[in-house]
Amino acid sequence: MRIKMIVCVCFVLCFIASWAIGQEVKLGALQDTTGATSDVGKDEALGVREATQYFNDIGGINGKKIRLFQYDYGYRVPEAITTYKRFRDYDKVAMVLGWGTGDTEALSPTVNADKMPYLSSSFSGHLCDPKKTPYNFVYGTDYSTNARGAITYWFEEVWKKDPKWKELRDKGAKPKFVCFIDTASPYATAPIKAIKDQATILGFDIGPDNHVGLTALDTKSQVIAAKGFGANLVWHGNTTMSVSTALKDAYALGLGADHIINNWGFDENLPKLGGPASEGAIGLLGCALFIDEYPAKKRVLDYTKKLNPGVPLENRLIRTVQGWVKVGMAVEAMKRADKAGQLNGPGIKDAFETFKDWPGLKEYGGQLVTLTPTDHRYSSIVRVARVIKGKPQTVAELDMRAKFPDKWAAWLGY
Amino acid sequence: MSYRPCGVYHQYYKQDHAWWQTKFVWGKMILLLFTVFYIIPQFAGMYLISIANVVGYTILSAIGVQLLIGYCGQVTLGHAAFLAMGAYTCTLLMLQLHIPYPIAMIMGGIVGGLWSVLFGLPSARVKGFYLIMTTMAAQFITVEFFITQYVSQIGGRGVAYSIPPGTVKIGPWMIKSDMDVYYVMVILVILCILVMANLLRSKVGRAWIAIRDNDIAAETMGVNIVFYKLLAFFVAGFFGGVAGAFWTSSLAAVSPEHFHFGWSLWLVGVILIGGVGSIHGIIYGAMFMTLIPEGLKFLIFVLTQNPFFVDLMPFLPLLLEKFLFVKEAAFGLAIVLFLIFEPNGISYRWWQIKNYFNLWPFSY
Repeated sequence: MRIKMIVCVCFVLCFIASWAIGQEVKLGALQDTTGATSDVGKDEALGVREATQYFNDIGGINGKKIRLFQYDYGYRVPEAITTYKRFRDYDKVAMVLGWGTGDTEALSPTVNADKMPYLSSSFSGHLCDPKKTPYNFVYGTDYSTNARGAITYWFEEVWKKDPKWKELRDKGAKPKFVCFIDTASPYATAPIKAIKDQATILGFDIGPDNHVGLTALDTKSQVIAAKGFGANLVWHGNTTMSVSTALKDAYALGLGADHIINNWGFDENLPKLGGPASEGAIGLLGCALFIDEYPAKKRVLDYTKKLNPGVPLENRLIRTVQGWVKVGMAVEAMKRADKAGQLNGPGIKDAFETFKDWPGLKEYGGQLVTLTPTDHRYSSIVRVARVIKGKPQTVAELDMRAKFPDKWAAWLGY
Repeated sequence: MSYRPCGVYHQYYKQDHAWWQTKFVWGKMILLLFTVFYIIPQFAGMYLISIANVVGYTILSAIGVQLLIGYCGQVTLGHAAFLAMGAYTCTLLMLQLHIPYPIAMIMGGIVGGLWSVLFGLPSARVKGFYLIMTTMAAQFITVEFFITQYVSQIGGRGVAYSIPPGTVKIGPWMIKSDMDVYYVMVILVILCILVMANLLRSKVGRAWIAIRDNDIAAETMGVNIVFYKLLAFFVAGFFGGVAGAFWTSSLAAVSPEHFHFGWSLWLVGVILIGGVGSIHGIIYGAMFMTLIPEGLKFLIFVLTQNPFFVDLMPFLPLLLEKFLFVKEAAFGLAIVLFLIFEPNGISYRWWQIKNYFNLWPFSY
């Protein structure tokens, strides 16, 4: 009798355990916390984990707990591939939160063949055309739209108005523009075609690209080359550490140009690393800075303190908030897919494509999100900021679709 | 006793030169082929198959490095450049000229070989550290400059791009799943190792080994060292080009980031761990360098996800990102320990084990 009872209890426990496991939604996350982009990757990884915990605490995916499989691949493409395949075949995740442009673009044919929704931290414009990459999604304004917005802002608000450029303006000179990018990095090169196209539209004189590695510690020769060209504006397409090196060298060598910086190169660390060299630098923001005021700030701070009390708050960055944006967008898509009874790859993809002016990211300083089966660009709004008195501050929001309505459609997947 | 190599005496040169000399070795090799072609594809699961593909790619990449460093004594730190040349050549030939994949792969190998000869030219005059510098130059000139500035402009796709589905096929066989890639990988690894092993026991291989052991003595003996060094660079570059072409097709994408300097260093690590101057060493080194990080990844997931361990040690999930640094350190430590305690590489240990069993039970 006793044995029978033990067997019955075991059976019930197994049933409950299997039911509990069945009520989980598995989420894979590739992170770079040790590699070439770890200067921005570490903080995002913390944000992803804290946000996942928060969403689990408020009920997960319609009552199903999210089980996060987070892994550092050190920005090594082969490791990203084997880890993705582990997520797909071993952990059997519902969707993947990806990281770099190199691995996201490399994995793109595979995720499309596998029908695996892939929300990446790479906002490459190449990933936004569903005809080519139907299962890729981004959680910020794409690099190409951002780059077009940044150069347009500088042209309209700085070149045309700032006394610094009055003399050249009055002479009728064309602004001279160069790019500081890691020419071997898909991330850094992704928006170059678009920004040069925009520079041509605005009538710039475009100089040769200068190769600056993602881990560069010296960029003097590149700065001297840009000075030789007489650059008035420099696009920095790398991450914060490399960008701050270039800004400091430009300052030390008296380049005299203005700087516009891609979103992964512009954060709270830039003024800390660049010092006075970063003053006035223009950058792009995907959401609110960690130090900003935004509706979800209390929640983000609470979970920061709760889960990672050892990381000082003054060291946290916009990347934490980006982690929340990333998980928030994924959770919303999974909730919608689950409600439709389709919590699988195609179901989550379809759910993403039902986003129409979705306001969920506004509380993190993000944009209204609209995704359609023909256009995966997250938003047409470009948020421009400047370093003013050592602090990045939002200075403008440009709606690129409204500004260039006849060109917007042609820019898809650019 | 004829089932084991010990005590086998040959009457003819043909028997003496046979790859598989006894029935025991025949049986062993047939079992290996059966495992590779049937058991692994049937029972391993897709995750392990994808890891096997990375092991195979590492083997293909490291064959040329082993040839140059292990057999010809020409140290190279820029082998990823030749992989990149093969990868871009193969991809562009398929996309621009619609050349079939096998021909594009061979062309990729030839271009990789010729490119390697170009950077091997200094080996006629310099050796040792100076040669290391010239091969490093190959890495940066090729990947950071030539490919990103010029090669990738062909077709206007940018530096990194995907290959449309259906492009990679051999005749009617479309290479699209990991399993297809696995079979291609296995066939390529077998072919490349056969070519390399046969070259090594020919006049060419003996000349390479003579150059490695003492180039001045080799020249005195009548070996044209410039020719054979350049030939070694060509063959190594050819293997590298084939490896690059394989990688591109297996991933259906190409990017300079896949061929960075770290990968060149990694390949040298593969042959150091596996054993310098050993074909087995390439395979064991590739397995070590791929499977150890995968094993550590497995351990991390168990420690941070398993409720039993998490309940026992609640700090484990907090270690997730901190433990990853430990993972890198553990991998580095494994390499260091290996070099201290087994400086001749895994292949030497394998040789010792094999000898022990060949003589067993009368090892004395």
